[in-house]
Amino acid sequence: MNHGIGVDIAFFLLAVLAIYSGWRVFCTDSMVRASFFLLVSFIAVGAIMLLLTAVYLGVAMFFMMAVEMMVMALFMVMFMMNPAGLNPMKMVHQERVAMAVGAVGFMVLGAMALFAEFPERPLPADLEPVAALGRELLGESMLIFESAGIVLLTTMIGVVVLSSHRGRYGGAETGSVPPGLMPGGEPAGQPAQGEDSEGGHQHHHH
Amino acid sequence: MIWEQLVLPTLTVLLALGIGAYAVAVLDRLIAGALGLSRAGSAWLAPLARGAWLLTQSANVTEAPDWQAWRLAPLLYLMLAAVGLALVPWSASLVATDLATSVVLWGSVEALATVVIFLHGWSANAPLALIGAYRYVALGLSYILISMFVLIGVALPAESLQFTQVVASQAELWNVIRQPLGLPLFLIVGLGVSFWGPLNLADSTDLAGGTASEVSGPPRLAWNLARAAMLVAFSGVAATVFLGGWLGPWLPGPLWLVLKMFAVLLALLLAGRLLPRLSPERCVTLMWVVLLPLSFVDLVWAGLEALL
Repeated sequence: MNHGIGVDIAFFLLAVLAIYSGWRVFCTDSMVRASFFLLVSFIAVGAIMLLLTAVYLGVAMFFMMAVEMMVMALFMVMFMMNPAGLNPMKMVHQERVAMAVGAVGFMVLGAMALFAEFPERPLPADLEPVAALGRELLGESMLIFESAGIVLLTTMIGVVVLSSHRGRYGGAETGSVPPGLMPGGEPAGQPAQGEDSEGGHQHHHH
Repeated sequence: MIWEQLVLPTLTVLLALGIGAYAVAVLDRLIAGALGLSRAGSAWLAPLARGAWLLTQSANVTEAPDWQAWRLAPLLYLMLAAVGLALVPWSASLVATDLATSVVLWGSVEALATVVIFLHGWSANAPLALIGAYRYVALGLSYILISMFVLIGVALPAESLQFTQVVASQAELWNVIRQPLGLPLFLIVGLGVSFWGPLNLADSTDLAGGTASEVSGPPRLAWNLARAAMLVAFSGVAATVFLGGWLGPWLPGPLWLVLKMFAVLLALLLAGRLLPRLSPERCVTLMWVVLLPLSFVDLVWAGLEALL
C-alpha cells in the first residue's frame, strides 16, 4: 500500500458523510430536501471514487448526479400535488418490506466485503484511466452501452408520455384548459381575446 | 513539499478569488460610469463601503426557512467558484489542481451551481425567491447542454480532458479562431452560470431581487461576493479553453492569463450593462431552439477539424 494517511482519513470522513446523508433521505419530510440529501451522498461516493483513482467516473458522478437530482426534484414537484415542493410530506412507504430488503442487501454486501478474497493487483505505472475507459466504452463494449442508452432514453420518453397523458384539467391531447367558474361556462383565467392578435401584450397605447 | 502542494495553490485560489471579485465590482461600476448610468461614490471605494455596510447589517429572517440550505447556499456557491479557479492553469507548472478530467469537473461546477442557486431561492420560503429559484432551474437545465457540447469541442483537438493539455493544444492556433462558434456560445453559458445581465432570471429586478430578495446582512455579502467570484472563475476557464490560457509572447504566462481574463470579464460586464434581460419563456426557447443546435454545429465543426 503506497498511499498516505490522508487518503485513509478522507475515505472514512467521506464514507460517514455518504451514509449519514443517505440516512437523512428517509428522515426528511420534503421531496426537494430528500433529492439533495441523496445528491450529497452521491457526491461523497464520487469523491471516494476519486481516491480510488477512478478519475473520470468520480467526476462524472458529480456531473451526472447534480443534473439528475435537479431534474428528479423538478419532476416530483411537477407531478405531485404539493405546490412548489414546500408542503411537508411522508417520503417513505412500505417500510417493512423496504427495511427487510435493505437489511438483506447490507448483509450480502457486508459478507462480500468481509469474506471475499480480493486480488492484490497494483496499478501499472503507465495507466491512463480516462483513455482506458474511453477505449472500453467505445471499443468492445460499444454495442452494449449504446443500446442501453437508447433503451433508457425511450423508457424516459415513454414514462413521461404515459404519466402526463392525463393532466390536471383532463386529457393532455385536448389541451390543458381550466374548467369554467360556472358549470359549462367559459374557461377561467384565460386572457381576454383582444383586438390585436399578437398574444401576450395587454397594453393599449393611447 | 507542503508549500508547493498545499500552501501555494490555496494562496493562488484565494488571491484570485478576492482580487477578482473586487475587480468585477470596480469594473462594473467603471463601465456604468462610462455609459453615463448613475452611480454613487467612487468606483474604487464604493464596493468596499457596500461590503462593510452589509457586514454590519443584521441578517433578515423569513417565516420557517430551511435554515441549513439557506445559510449554506451562498457559501457553497462561493466554494464552487473556488473549485473553478483551482482548475485554471496560470502557467504550465503553476496550477492548483491539475486533474486529468478538469474539463468535466468544470462541467460539474456548472451543474452544481444550478442546484445551489435553486436551493438559495427555494429555502427562503418566500414567494419571489421561489419564483427566482424555479426560473433558474429552467435556465440552468438549458445552458448545461450547450456548455457540455462546447467543452467537448475544445477537448477534441487536445485529445484530453485536462485544461493544461487544452492550452498546450492551442500553441499554434487559439480555439477562438479554430472553433468560431465556441467562445460566443460559452460566453452565454458564463452569463447563465453567474445569472448576470441578460440572463439574470434568478435575482432580477422584476422579482425585487429574486432568490436574494429576502437576504440581507452578511449572507447577502457572501452571495454577492460568490456571484462576482463565479464570474471570475468562468473568465479564467474561458480564457484557458478559448484564448490560449498562459500562452503569449514577451510577458510571463500568469500575466497573459490575467489580461485575457480581464478581456472576458469586460465582454461579460459590457453585455450585462448593454443588453436587456430576456423574459424566461423567450430565454428557454432561444436556448433549446437556436443555441443548442448551434452548439451541435460547433461540435461537428470541431470533430471534422480534428479528423482532418
